[in-house]
Amino acid sequence: MRVVLSNSSGVPLYRQIKEQIGAAVLAGDLAEGATLPSVRALARDLRISIITTNRAYTELAAEGFIGTVPGKGAYVLPLDSALVREQLLRQVEEGLQTALDAGRQAGLDRGQLLEILDGLMQSEPDRTPGGPARDE
Amino acid sequence: MTAVARVAVLHLRTVAPYRTQGLLVCGMLFLVLARNPAGVVPSLALLLAPLIAVHPFVVADKARLETLYAVLPVSRRALVLGHYAWSLACFVATAATGTVLAEVLARIEDVSYGGRTLATILTVSWLLFAVNIAVQLPLLMWFGYARVSVLGTTMPLALVMVAVLRLHLTLGWVRDRPAVLWFAGVALLTASATLAAKAPPGPRT
Amino acid sequence: MTSDLAFALRSVGCAVGGGFALRDVSFELPTGYVMGLIGANGAGKTTMIRCLLGMRAIETGEAELLGRRVPGPVELRQDIGVVLDHTALVGDWRLTEVERTLRPFYDRWDGARYRHFLDEFGLDPRARVRDLSRGMAMKLVIAVALSHHARLLVLDEPTSGLDPVARDELAGIIGDFLLDEEHSVLFSTHITADLDRIGDYVTLVHRGRVVRTGPKDEVLDSYRVVRGGPDDLGGTDGAATLVGVELIGLRRTPAGAQALVRAEEADLLDAGLLVERPTLEEIALHIGSEPSGPVGRRGGRSGAIA
Repeated sequence: MRVVLSNSSGVPLYRQIKEQIGAAVLAGDLAEGATLPSVRALARDLRISIITTNRAYTELAAEGFIGTVPGKGAYVLPLDSALVREQLLRQVEEGLQTALDAGRQAGLDRGQLLEILDGLMQSEPDRTPGGPARDE
Repeated sequence: MTAVARVAVLHLRTVAPYRTQGLLVCGMLFLVLARNPAGVVPSLALLLAPLIAVHPFVVADKARLETLYAVLPVSRRALVLGHYAWSLACFVATAATGTVLAEVLARIEDVSYGGRTLATILTVSWLLFAVNIAVQLPLLMWFGYARVSVLGTTMPLALVMVAVLRLHLTLGWVRDRPAVLWFAGVALLTASATLAAKAPPGPRT
Repeated sequence: MTSDLAFALRSVGCAVGGGFALRDVSFELPTGYVMGLIGANGAGKTTMIRCLLGMRAIETGEAELLGRRVPGPVELRQDIGVVLDHTALVGDWRLTEVERTLRPFYDRWDGARYRHFLDEFGLDPRARVRDLSRGMAMKLVIAVALSHHARLLVLDEPTSGLDPVARDELAGIIGDFLLDEEHSVLFSTHITADLDRIGDYVTLVHRGRVVRTGPKDEVLDSYRVVRGGPDDLGGTDGAATLVGVELIGLRRTPAGAQALVRAEEADLLDAGLLVERPTLEEIALHIGSEPSGPVGRRGGRSGAIA
C-alpha cells in the first residue's frame, strides 16, 4: 500500500489518506480481500495521529471500500459496480466543474465548450470505446 | 518487609559506583586506628556511621534520585525504613570486619582480650552507631542533605562527647549493663524511624 | 470512576509559590490515545504532571489515574512510565546496573525486552548514564518504562534538546507503544511541531490554567488567525466599530497586525481582513503572549476591533 501525504496541499490529512486508498481500490492496485494495516500501525508509519487515521478508515468503510474488524484491521471489500460508477461520476462532475469555471473566466459559451469537448474526444479515439458516435 | 530490603539494596547500588573510595577511607581509618585492638570497632562505628548513613543521600542529591523515588512503585515508608536497613547492614558488616581485624591485630601484638571485653566493645560500638543514625537520619529526611550535611554528622558526635564527659560514662558502666544498652539502642532507632517516616517527601526539584 | 479514561484532572488547584498557582485545571484523555500538553516555559505543565502523578499534593479538585483516584496505591506506579526532564538515575551507573537496580521493584520486569530496546535504540549496555546524550538518556528512560510494561507513558518535555532525527524516532517509539489499544501517552512540550501530526488530543495551558482542551482538530477548528494592516485590528484612533471580538495575543508591527480570535466570533470581523485556520504553533504563540488573566473567557481585556 502506498500513501503519500502532503503537508502543504491544504487538504486535511484524513482526506488525503481516504482519497489515496480509495483510488488504489478503484484502480485495482488494492485487490478485493487485501488486508490494510491497522489504524494504529498506519498512524505510526505515517507519524500522524490515531484519530486522523481512524477517521479516514471510518469514511472508507462508510463508503463501502473497506471492511473493518474491531481490534484486528481492515480489508478491501469487493468492488461494488454501482459504487465505482458513482465514484467515477463524481470525478467527471468535478472535472467538468473545473472546466466550466475556467470557461466562464475565458468568456466561452455553451456551444464553444461543447466544441472543445468534442474536439478532445475525437483526438483520443482509442480511449473512448463506449463514447458517442464519431463523425465521419 | 521485602520492600524495605529492596530499598536497602537500592541504596547499596546507589553508592556502589563509589565503592573503591569507600573502601579506601575504611582502610585508612583502620591503619590510623590500628594501635589498640580494643578500640578498633568502636572507633570504626563512631567514624563510619555518619558516612554510611549520609552516603546514599549525597549521591541521591547529586543525581536527583528524589524523582526516581517518587516514580518507583515503593511507599514513602519503605524508603525511609530502607535507609535504616541499609545503615544496620553496614553496621553489621563494619562490626564483623572490625572484630576480625582487631583479633588479627591482637594476635600480632600478642595482647589478648576475653569474650567479656569483646561484648563490651560491641555494645559501645552499637551505642555509638545507634546514636549517630538515630539523630542523623530524621534530620536528613526532614531537611534534606543540602541543608544538614554538616550538622547531621557533627551533632551526634557532640552528643556522645557530652554524654561521656558530663555523665562520666566509663567502660565499666557499659560492661555492667550490656542488655539494657543494646535495647536502648534499638528503642532509640525505633523512635528515630517513627519520626523520620513522618517527614514530607523530599526536597522539591 | 470510569476506566476508559487513561487519566483525568478535575478542577485541580494548588499553590506553587512565587505567586504562581494552578487554578481550576481540568483535562482528560481516553485510553489508547496521545495527548500533548502545550504551553510556554513556566505555564505550569510540569506542575500539572506532578499533580497527576501524585508527586505534588492537590489542594482543590481531584485527579484520576488509570481508573484510580490520586494518590492511589503505590502499585499503580507499576503501570506508569515517567520520563521527566532529567534522567533521575545515578550518572555512574552502567546501563546493566540500571536494570539490576530497578528490576526488583517491578513485578512484570522483562529483562529480554530491556536488552531488546537498548539494542534497538542503539544504547551500549556497558555505557554509563552520565555519558549519554540527552536524546539517548531519554531513550534509556523510555526503555525502562517499556520493560516494566507500563500502560501509560508520561513524558515531560521529551523533545526539547532533541534534533529532528531523534524527534522523529521518538514519534516512532510512541507510535509503536500505541499499537496496543490499552496504552496511552501524555507528553508536554513547547515545540508544537511535535504535536501537529501525532497528537490526538491537545491541552493548551497558560499561566497555570487550561485555555482549551480536546481532540486536536476541534481545538484547531475553534480558533481563527486574523491578519490585517497596522491599523486594522484596534487602531490607535480607538474608534471601536465592532465589539464582541476578543483579540488574543495581538501582535502589531509597522507592516501589519495579527491576532487569534475564537472561530464563532470570526464572522463578526471585517471582510477586508485575512481570516485563516491557525496552526498549533500560531495558537500557542498568541495564547502564550497574552499578558495576563484567563484567555478562555469572554470579556478579556484584549481589546476590540476598531
